[in-house]
Amino acid sequence: VNGSRYAYVLAGGEGRRLCLLSERRAKPAVPFGGKYRIIDFTLSNCVNSGIYDVGVLTQYRPTSLNRHIGTGRPWDLDRTRGGIQILQPSLGAVRSDWYQGTADAIYRNLIHLRRRRIDQVLVLSGDHLYTMDYNVLYAFHVRNQARATVAVTEVPADMTHHFGILETDEKGRVVGFQEKPRTAPKSRMASMGVYLFDRDSLIQWLEEDAGMSDSSHDFGKDVIPRLVARDEGVFAYPFPHYWQDVGTVDSYYESHRALLTDRPPIDLADPDWVIHTQSADRPPVRFEAGCRVAGSMIANGCTIGGEVVRSVLFPGVTVPRGAVVRDSIVMGDSIIQRGAVVDRAILDKLVEVGEGARVGEGDDSKPNTACPDHLSTGLTIIGKGAHLPDGITIGRNARIGAYVTRSYFTSDVQSGGVVDGPESVH
Amino acid sequence: MADMAVVLAGGGGERLSVLTAERAVSAVPFGGKYRIVDFVLSNCCHSHVEHVALVTQHVPTSLHDHVGSGRAWDLDRRAGGIEILQPYRTQSHAGWYRGTADALTQNWDAIEERRPDRVLVLPGDHVYRMDYRALAQTHVEHKASVTLAVTRVPSDQSRRFGMVDLDRDGRVKTLHEKPAHSTATHGSMGICLFDFEVLGDALRARPVDLVLDVIVPLVERGGVYAHEFSGYWEDVGTLSTYFAANLDLVSPEPHFALHDPRWPILTRDEERPPVRIEASAAVERSLIANGCRIAGSVRRSVLSPGVVVEPGAEVVDSVILSETRIGAGARVSGAILDKYVQVGEGARVGEPAGEDERCDFSGLTVVGKDATIPDLAVVHRSSIIGPGARAEDFTSEVSPGSQLSGRSWLADVAARTGSRQ
Repeated sequence: VNGSRYAYVLAGGEGRRLCLLSERRAKPAVPFGGKYRIIDFTLSNCVNSGIYDVGVLTQYRPTSLNRHIGTGRPWDLDRTRGGIQILQPSLGAVRSDWYQGTADAIYRNLIHLRRRRIDQVLVLSGDHLYTMDYNVLYAFHVRNQARATVAVTEVPADMTHHFGILETDEKGRVVGFQEKPRTAPKSRMASMGVYLFDRDSLIQWLEEDAGMSDSSHDFGKDVIPRLVARDEGVFAYPFPHYWQDVGTVDSYYESHRALLTDRPPIDLADPDWVIHTQSADRPPVRFEAGCRVAGSMIANGCTIGGEVVRSVLFPGVTVPRGAVVRDSIVMGDSIIQRGAVVDRAILDKLVEVGEGARVGEGDDSKPNTACPDHLSTGLTIIGKGAHLPDGITIGRNARIGAYVTRSYFTSDVQSGGVVDGPESVH
Repeated sequence: MADMAVVLAGGGGERLSVLTAERAVSAVPFGGKYRIVDFVLSNCCHSHVEHVALVTQHVPTSLHDHVGSGRAWDLDRRAGGIEILQPYRTQSHAGWYRGTADALTQNWDAIEERRPDRVLVLPGDHVYRMDYRALAQTHVEHKASVTLAVTRVPSDQSRRFGMVDLDRDGRVKTLHEKPAHSTATHGSMGICLFDFEVLGDALRARPVDLVLDVIVPLVERGGVYAHEFSGYWEDVGTLSTYFAANLDLVSPEPHFALHDPRWPILTRDEERPPVRIEASAAVERSLIANGCRIAGSVRRSVLSPGVVVEPGAEVVDSVILSETRIGAGARVSGAILDKYVQVGEGARVGEPAGEDERCDFSGLTVVGKDATIPDLAVVHRSSIIGPGARAEDFTSEVSPGSQLSGRSWLADVAARTGSRQ
């Protein structure tokens, strides 16, 4: 039975609103939760639901994602039959080209359905946080004799304009769909980007969509609204648990804060729903004499001699005596030197904060000059591999690019300031 | 040059007390997230030894679970990789391993099938990082028939080791097993590289002990050389060395660096979330593995994955293995707690009992797997609580140096099921 299900995972997302965090990696590859990557949640949902046949669609900066997935071993997806396969854009066949939208990406990979003996096919996003047993979704789909089922979650009324909003009748049949409605919709049920389709119907619909010149070939914008309008048998499965699209710097930060509360929305320690990820081969966390740690999550391989409060530290972070990390997220192998203070900041991997430096200083709330929409709540963000000089002060809402070195700084960085790093090769 | 490693992982014995009641010494957890056998298997992996056989005998379940297909050490191979050499019977033969040499003799067919040029015999209960290729290099340079890894031993420690006298070329002149006094400066680490033919010939005489019956006679014939090893090396097969080696990891300047990116210690991934340190916690000088949740105080201790320290609880100078829970307000000091132990609220484990206390294990208190220590119970120093002991087994304080026997899980389930009917 397990062999008879197949999931496409859309993992080509840019995650523009994540600012620097997705500058050099696809959004599903963004580190999360002290040791995971965002895609781990979706892949773990698959295997925990007994789905061991997965195709991952990649396009935007896939190196980090491909390395993370590797052979699929952490998810037991390194298999003789099925397992995990990267579905990259390609040339040479009739349908070969870049992926234009989510529906187009699946359309160009329909070949993978050809010999699979399946009645339904799952289409998932690789960039959402949630733990879902897809068996429940399958049961809902079959019970309703649906041709397409869209998983939905209730969102606050003031957030509906960020989502595709579905309206249903009392049986769960979708009777209305609005993509990012500007005016207040009747419903607060938002599409989670989790779809279950009848295989043959999906093929029919995507063939049709591909021929439409006025379509942007996107499930949310084009395909689902069209199916709803024609009453093609679309049902909405109301998912009752936590779901989060960590699409912005703020939601990324708040999702981490939620993990630090007494009752985190996702139990990362649930033995019945393990979130699988690459293991880092690191020793246990080393707490040294005189350290002060409270309200934090700290991964194996960290060494803590200083102060860490209300923060999430990924593997291999060093906080020596005299350094302070408060209300921050620090990714793997970063080092905060003595006397440095990091406050309300997100540090990417391999960042070095020089001695006595201050990151996230003052109470000036001037938004970031380069991305005022995404960096305005006081968070400062430091790109991968950046080296901040000793004694420097960096204000709030600041953005320091990846791989900047000491020579990039001529003075302190004011709140809202930007220091761009070297351009990447591409 | 193909070498095959034979890891002697069959030992259990009394030396690690209740820690080895239900597992082999090699499978005893160490350093928070590792098992003792990880060190030798990681050395094999990084030294490119591609055939590894594990000799097992004493309660191997835990070891089998841990090693699995050998994946963690990249030893899950189509050809070679890891294999288990267990005691077996045939139509004409049935025999437990009587000793280290006997274990090799009984498995000689299996070793011969692999056609190794040399056989590397490795104890499965030592903590060290060694590139076995350096040992092989020494072996080749001397055209030795056997090469022993040796290390400098303080003169008061000679009774723990096989002490070797070397000539100027590094040839072993004499080997004395565990002498009370010795003028020799070096001891054998139990790590020996044999030419395949030499070992095969020696095993024809059906020897029992590898040192006494094989190596000592070979030393007398000449051709046994020493390879000096100067790095950290510890035989953690006794309670006191096991405890000391764990606590050394949390000293300001540990003798052994668990983290070395060029030579990481590989182990089976437990898939646990990062350590959670609650607002009420106080933690210092400790090693705490992923999956732990700390709301109380932890000092100078090593905690394995999934340990919970409730608010107001205190853990000092202790080694706590996986999934053990220290209840609110409890205090654990100078103790080793095996996995799945429940320490009740306000209980005291490793409590000093005044001036005249007896210290059978240098004051250590050891609590076996799955034991439940009731709320407010007092377990004094140097005592041992058996695996599976239940709250009702504690009728009074557990006095210093005493032993509370445990319960078998199966008998327990059977008794409870019986009483329901």
